[in-house]
Amino acid sequence: MIFATLLALGVIAILGFRKYSWSLVFTLLLSIGMIAYALDGLWHGAGPMTIAGTVGISPLRAWFLLVLGLVATMSSWYRWGYHDQGQATSLFMPFFLLSMMTVILADNVWVFMSAWEAMTITSFFLVTRYHQRPQVLKSGYIYLVMSQVSAMLILSGFMVMGTALHSLNFSIWALYASTLSLPLKSLVFGLLALGFGMKSGVIPFHVWLPRAHPVAPAPVSSLMSGAMIKLGIFGMMQFLLFDLGQTARIWPLLILAAGALSSLLGVLYALMEHDLKRLLAYHSIENIGIILLGMGVMGVGIDWHLPGLVALGLIASLFHTLNHAIFKSQLFLAAGAVEQHTGTLDADHLGGLIRNIPGIAIGFIAGSLAISGLPPFNGFVSEWLTFRGLLGLASHWTGPMALYGLGLAMVLGLTGALAGLCFVKASGVIFLGEPRREVAQHRIPASMVWPILGLAGSTLILGVVPQPLLHLLANVDPRYPVAATSLLLPVKTLVVAAMLLAVSAGLIGFSRALSVRTVPRWSTGRIPDASMQYTSASFSKSIRTTFALIYRPHRQLVGVGGLTPDFPEQFIYRGGTRPVWDRYLYQPLYALIWHLAHLSSRIQAGPVRLYLAYLLGTVGLMLAILH
Amino acid sequence: MVWFVQCVGIFLMLTLSPLMWGISQTVKARMQGRHGPSIVQMYWVIAKNWKKETTVPEFSSFVFRLAPSISLAALMVVLITVPVAGRVPNPWPHNLLTLFFLLALERFWTGLAGLDSAGTFGGLGASRVTTLGTGIEPALLAAVAVLWRISGHTAIVPLATVLHHNPSNLLPWLLASASLAVVLLAELGRLPVDNPDTHLELTMIHEATLLEYNGRFLAISQFAMTLKLTAMITLGWVIFGPDLPSLWANLAVRVLEVGVSAIGLGWIESRFTKLRYFQLPAYLAAAAGVGVLAFYLLAGGLTL
Repeated sequence: MIFATLLALGVIAILGFRKYSWSLVFTLLLSIGMIAYALDGLWHGAGPMTIAGTVGISPLRAWFLLVLGLVATMSSWYRWGYHDQGQATSLFMPFFLLSMMTVILADNVWVFMSAWEAMTITSFFLVTRYHQRPQVLKSGYIYLVMSQVSAMLILSGFMVMGTALHSLNFSIWALYASTLSLPLKSLVFGLLALGFGMKSGVIPFHVWLPRAHPVAPAPVSSLMSGAMIKLGIFGMMQFLLFDLGQTARIWPLLILAAGALSSLLGVLYALMEHDLKRLLAYHSIENIGIILLGMGVMGVGIDWHLPGLVALGLIASLFHTLNHAIFKSQLFLAAGAVEQHTGTLDADHLGGLIRNIPGIAIGFIAGSLAISGLPPFNGFVSEWLTFRGLLGLASHWTGPMALYGLGLAMVLGLTGALAGLCFVKASGVIFLGEPRREVAQHRIPASMVWPILGLAGSTLILGVVPQPLLHLLANVDPRYPVAATSLLLPVKTLVVAAMLLAVSAGLIGFSRALSVRTVPRWSTGRIPDASMQYTSASFSKSIRTTFALIYRPHRQLVGVGGLTPDFPEQFIYRGGTRPVWDRYLYQPLYALIWHLAHLSSRIQAGPVRLYLAYLLGTVGLMLAILH
Repeated sequence: MVWFVQCVGIFLMLTLSPLMWGISQTVKARMQGRHGPSIVQMYWVIAKNWKKETTVPEFSSFVFRLAPSISLAALMVVLITVPVAGRVPNPWPHNLLTLFFLLALERFWTGLAGLDSAGTFGGLGASRVTTLGTGIEPALLAAVAVLWRISGHTAIVPLATVLHHNPSNLLPWLLASASLAVVLLAELGRLPVDNPDTHLELTMIHEATLLEYNGRFLAISQFAMTLKLTAMITLGWVIFGPDLPSLWANLAVRVLEVGVSAIGLGWIESRFTKLRYFQLPAYLAAAAGVGVLAFYLLAGGLTL
């Protein structure tokens, strides 16, 4: 089936090279097909089945296929109205989608790695769509290099595993990987966790993510943030948690630590951004962190023999994966619409867009509520489950370990509150209030609004009625039966959500009936203007002051002109935060690599005679060793 | 029977919450040597605002008009989930974690409304309210974790039942209640964190987000404010207060306890000055630290 679609895709892509709509039709059909196939796989999902050892489906793969299909459907629909397609986008989009699908379905190392590389390369071309703009190519290269490093780590992990098990087949691994020795398991775990973590944007391997995601066109950003980084999660889930099973106890603890670090720092960095898409990219890091926290709970459950926690962690992390895919692609698509409407993404130039593009604004606010984990939206359910898992860890352990569990739960609480703050800022500064500057007002076609509202609707539905999907998730790993209570608790949240909706619907109906008069706002007697409003920088100023240790903020106030330096005509203010990871981790690393390259250049100076001497020496050495 | 008592309790909270506000205001006035407004003043204030004409600031959208309703809705659900008389049967949604998510929802809409009013003070209030929330939530979680570790529940009724019938772990229990009380002062916007009576915009936190509201919207917001105060204090007493065998006696004791808390609140507000805004992280971190200490004691990390 895959090969047939590949062939068909090739034909269609060549035919449709000039007419972009072919690409759209194809991606739309493919993604709808994926949803159907995934739901079928989840519904009947008993055991894994494969086709000739190349591709296959299992309940876990079906779940990720569902995530991919949902995001891809909406972003393809959205592309109908999105302003500039460009030939490259139309050409590479279907291949990008197909390669992601093949990564999920792959059943041996060859298929997996080829699809993985195809995914990286196609997405590189999609990211560098606006290559004539400054910094875009550089961001693309950073993305490419880090993806290659991640692929290398993954391949080494695969090679270790394949050698140990004498097979490159994933179905064989699923059966026998848990019998490996503990040191070997640790080696595989380390390599694969690093490789997949890099692709998911886990801190400190995140630097490519806030560079690459924002520069891509909006449908591509939504696919990358919604689906592609989830494939790293998929890899960790399938190979590390499902296949390896019990490992050294340090690994799940490290996953938890990485999750806490990513979630907290992700949201803290997001708070300092005023470019909407960069802000959203940092929030992807935050949510990957929350998913990792759920996975860590699962890993601890496996290693400490707590089946209840395994099930809770599994359900929490997989459900959050789907939820994040939905609301993050919704937010990225809305950001794309804002850019198409106004021509800018700088929050401090915008304001009051809710009057021009109400549909987009409602979609964005709904997404903000969902990503902040507020009832009755879907983010609430999965964050709630993650909290339960972390508190479960905290109350299972004793002594300092208990404190570790509690610390993780508190970090998640802080992250949730900071995410709320950040999205009050983003929706408030961009969509509410008075416009801060004159911006363009291009029309937004309905085909861009409906996908966003569709995604917003599904965040609400999954928040109010999470049960069917939670029950599907409970079947993903039959080894760990779900305790009835962990699924019962969301029932109560459902009741809360229903009550909330009922009460607010009643009150809203009442407040709409009220006729009100519009008057000027209060500005202590001055004439009010747009510049009196809070900007995104001033809104998060208190956070910047409180977390100065992390941000290392700097400010500079220079007086210019005037008769004496004490009485300048005007002041110039510069301020910002230091990119800590770039400066203290990546720049030294880069300098080191550069230095090593210089050293190695001495032995490859260029003369042919020298190289011939090397050859001769090598042959001589080999002969010496062989004899 | 349980349901009936619960409904009576909810009705009492709805009707008596402005009175509770009035009691604390009267205590404050007396301690300052003033006669002060009538004890039922808040009822008149809400009724007066309800009858007045309603205006909205220019540039505001429907978010501004929705926010008071949604805040009130969230608080009504909080109110319903508080088991006033204790011992509500199981399907009742009364989870402590869910309740804090509802408070976060209220905070989110308050913040949005502040920015939607398009003025300086709305943004100021929105920024301060949400920033305060980031300190409140970890501290609340630490207290919840302690309660869960003692009782094995996050649902309020079984949690409170275990606490009442198992008086061991007294010290962590006391520390957690102290931590929760300190955090609730911040969550409810009372001194030493926020002064609900202030008339100077620059010092406002929660009031600043309400600055542009008048008429019915203000009445709704004020009612929501009094409701939040009553509901959260009642919740504290449900968890930490005594539990009597009779439901009606329980309810009566709750009313008394809330009245006493109103007097205590007035006393606290007269004795303490407002903290500087940038001292608040330290205040909340101290509360969280007490919670963590209680948890550590409980987890056997420290023995006294």
